[in-house]
Amino acid sequence: MNSYIPTSLEEALKILFEHDCYILAGGTDLMVQNHRSSGLLPTFKKDVLFTSQIEGLDYIKVINNELHIGANTKYISMIESKFVPTMLKNVFVEIASPSIRNMATLTGNINNASPAADGTVPLILLDARLVLQSKDNKREISVDDYLIGFKKTDRKPNEMVTEIIVPLTDHKYLWRKVGSRKAESISKVTFLGAYKTSNNKISDFRIALGCVSIKPVRSKQVESKYIGLTIDELKNKKDEIVNDYNQLIEPVTDQRSNKEYKRKVAINLLKSFIDSIK
Amino acid sequence: MKIKFNLNKKDVIVDVDPSMRLLDVLRNVLHLTGTKEGCGEGSCGACSVLVDNMPYDSCLTPVINVMNKQVMTIEGIRESKEYETIANSFAKMGGSQCGFCTPGMIIVTYALLMKNPNPSEEEIRLALSGNICRCTGYQAIVNAVKDASKGGKHE
Repeated sequence: MNSYIPTSLEEALKILFEHDCYILAGGTDLMVQNHRSSGLLPTFKKDVLFTSQIEGLDYIKVINNELHIGANTKYISMIESKFVPTMLKNVFVEIASPSIRNMATLTGNINNASPAADGTVPLILLDARLVLQSKDNKREISVDDYLIGFKKTDRKPNEMVTEIIVPLTDHKYLWRKVGSRKAESISKVTFLGAYKTSNNKISDFRIALGCVSIKPVRSKQVESKYIGLTIDELKNKKDEIVNDYNQLIEPVTDQRSNKEYKRKVAINLLKSFIDSIK
Repeated sequence: MKIKFNLNKKDVIVDVDPSMRLLDVLRNVLHLTGTKEGCGEGSCGACSVLVDNMPYDSCLTPVINVMNKQVMTIEGIRESKEYETIANSFAKMGGSQCGFCTPGMIIVTYALLMKNPNPSEEEIRLALSGNICRCTGYQAIVNAVKDASKGGKHE
């Protein structure tokens, strides 16, 4: 395997145009997945492009009420940023451990495309988008469309994610991560529910669930059924909402927990979110 | 590939594969064995080092990611006056038993106290949350960090 260490985005895109590479930022997933015994070099099955020396991809800024996050931005920078909304910070501070939050990027979390990723749950809830660039092209795609399956994304080999764009909102929300311990735990179930009210009516209603399908589950079609109801009407439809999400989620048994447990917990979190609406 | 970084306040150049783990560069190339390998997958914190004053798991860090950065290992921390306070507090409060996690625990304690000299118990537990100890049950380590935060003059 060859290592490529570009210092500019232009150089990186030229390398990706010529070579099919793993794109390694913090390394906190790829260095584990390709790890061998102590003292041996990791074994990557493809060439590796290291992003750490690329200038100009580590930034957080707000443009037209949208958060723009450069692809090389670490979790710790977002947690400490005055621009990043509390909803995102509350998710990020529960990811992995302090040291991994110092090393890892949200871009990496998205591209690893694990069904148990925490970072993609708020991005899908907030209709976040990605900017992908290749040598000759630049495109935007929603995070929801970008994640196409278990560990699969819509990235073409000559592309890289250069920016994450998150619309800023003032939803009230409930975030819960269920894991076996507070730090270092890969989630069993994650839940993020958000809503807005206006004149005692539900003016927006969004739900995203992690770990219960190949990617975070969100259905705008289901959500739209409940927008416009009064708060009491929504609460009276709790059984119907539970039924809707029971049909949408497809948890599987894995080493962390079994599918019955995940379903039960996901639905309980959904119920407590509905109860919390006021 | 020749990679330059600052290690324990001195510039070093290593000629290694850029994907080599920082942990292996420290232990096998530079023969600094204070940094330990526990799990090798970022779950235990035994390999903690500071990169630009922030705790990193050196087992997950390809050495290219510290090029031109400042790396501090337990050997570098040991030269500081803060180390003496922290080490004494760990000894006094029973914060070290078998000792394997201790270099990592001291690294994250040092980083915490540099940033936040008077941490609450919750802040201490959060700062240590990526470091596993299989001996002490953590309370003795938390007590040691509290003691160190009071300059070792507590109790």
